[in-house]
Amino acid sequence: MNLDDLTRTSGEWLRGAGPESDIVICSRIRLARNLATYPFTNRATRSDKTEIEREAKAALAKTSFQLEYLDVHALNPLDRQFLVERQLISRELMQSEGPRGVAIGPEENMSVMVNEEDHLRIQAVHAGLSLYDVWEQINLLDDQLEQQLDFAFSPQLGYLTACPTNVGTGIRVGVMLHLPALVQTREIEKVFRALHKINLAVRGLYGEGTQAFGDFYQISNQQTLGKSELELIKTLNDVIPQIIEYERRARKDLVDNRRQNLHDQVSRAYGVLKTAHQISSEETMHLLSSVRMGINLGLIDDLEIATVNELFIHTQPAHLQKIQGRHLEVDDRNEARAQYLRSRLSPGPDPRTN
Amino acid sequence: MTCEQCRDDATVHLSETIDGKPKEIHLCGVCARKAGIRLPKTPPDLALDAVIQGLITANVGELVGALAQKECPCCEITFRDYRTNLRLGCPVDYRIFGTALLPMLKQFHQATRHVGKIPARRSIDPEPILRMRADLRGAVATENFERAAQLRDEIRLRLRTFHE
Repeated sequence: MNLDDLTRTSGEWLRGAGPESDIVICSRIRLARNLATYPFTNRATRSDKTEIEREAKAALAKTSFQLEYLDVHALNPLDRQFLVERQLISRELMQSEGPRGVAIGPEENMSVMVNEEDHLRIQAVHAGLSLYDVWEQINLLDDQLEQQLDFAFSPQLGYLTACPTNVGTGIRVGVMLHLPALVQTREIEKVFRALHKINLAVRGLYGEGTQAFGDFYQISNQQTLGKSELELIKTLNDVIPQIIEYERRARKDLVDNRRQNLHDQVSRAYGVLKTAHQISSEETMHLLSSVRMGINLGLIDDLEIATVNELFIHTQPAHLQKIQGRHLEVDDRNEARAQYLRSRLSPGPDPRTN
Repeated sequence: MTCEQCRDDATVHLSETIDGKPKEIHLCGVCARKAGIRLPKTPPDLALDAVIQGLITANVGELVGALAQKECPCCEITFRDYRTNLRLGCPVDYRIFGTALLPMLKQFHQATRHVGKIPARRSIDPEPILRMRADLRGAVATENFERAAQLRDEIRLRLRTFHE
């Protein structure tokens, strides 16, 4: 797999399709699995990790999912960061040491990290609210891997994981939402509190402990033991439409009561993104968030949601540097980012096809 | 964009209507907090590790005597190690430290029994092989390469015969 080619595309999950795609970016499920006869990754020796990687690679190659394996250990730091920005690997896998990698499926719908906190972290993602489709796919991949690998499993505790917070199903069911109106109307904290009460976690764009840049929030289960995969999926699938409804109501409220302000805010955001000559990643996210909402509310009509979704990822540091083909310090990046935004947001052919 | 108060990077961007006119305010996190603005954008820090630490303290209390010293024969971690790193060392730890882990699982998951998917393939008992791997590590560490080679062969043989 040539990572440079990926700079011209984005994962299927970013294309702005799927049910409720004005608010739901994507649905994501991961399964934590460990090979039974090895210590967990944090206690595995280098030769254990090599063996685990060899077994995992062989099993992954035999599945029907056309996965391509990337040796993360051999990648340079920029490429590792690039994979994190694309949400194909975790920060933990980026920063850890020793033999490790990731198998990536076509359209970036599937990925399997090897030698992360658990030996295997299987992940599937689809655009929009489509948890049951995602489950069907990931369950099939898990079945195929299970035919070849001995997973650590106990009848009482289920799939055994390095951290007891994942034991049982080893599942994390997550939905990424864009909630700019709830943030603006300051209703978002009520949502956090309600979710917390029913044991659901809220995270930022890049997982645990990260900030909610661009008004993106990931809602996911915390409990993994004592409920089946389908029960946990159902809980999320029942709750998400309510949050969507709150966000729609907040948007309607903004349109009904603050239309001029809103239109002004959206147009200014669009204007800055189209014309700035220096812009930070954070400001970009903030402004893109307004533009994204503006498109969904019909206040901007010459820009596709898919383009905006893609810009959230492609304006991040490693993406910019790979698109430009050179190392860039912060100031240079801010210039390169502004230039890239101007080129993508101005009428004319897509600059990346030149 | 810089903070209007201190010229640090602005991370808080507010649009307000003052006297009917829209006004944008850009502040850094520190100045925003000083100005009494509640920052609603960041989800509450989950601090999962702190939660687990709390559960360990609540359920196991201060580590004393046998439990603190108890060591897994397969991955050679003690419960004290787990308490420090919050990661278990191997599947057998769930049995070795079961009395301490179960009350924590009950609190965190409100359950102590798995419901859900079961592997179609017969599960292997990992303990004998993990014990051999521990011996193997010892043999390599003491440069007893003959013993190490022997253990590698034994492990391979066991795994092969299990699936035949």
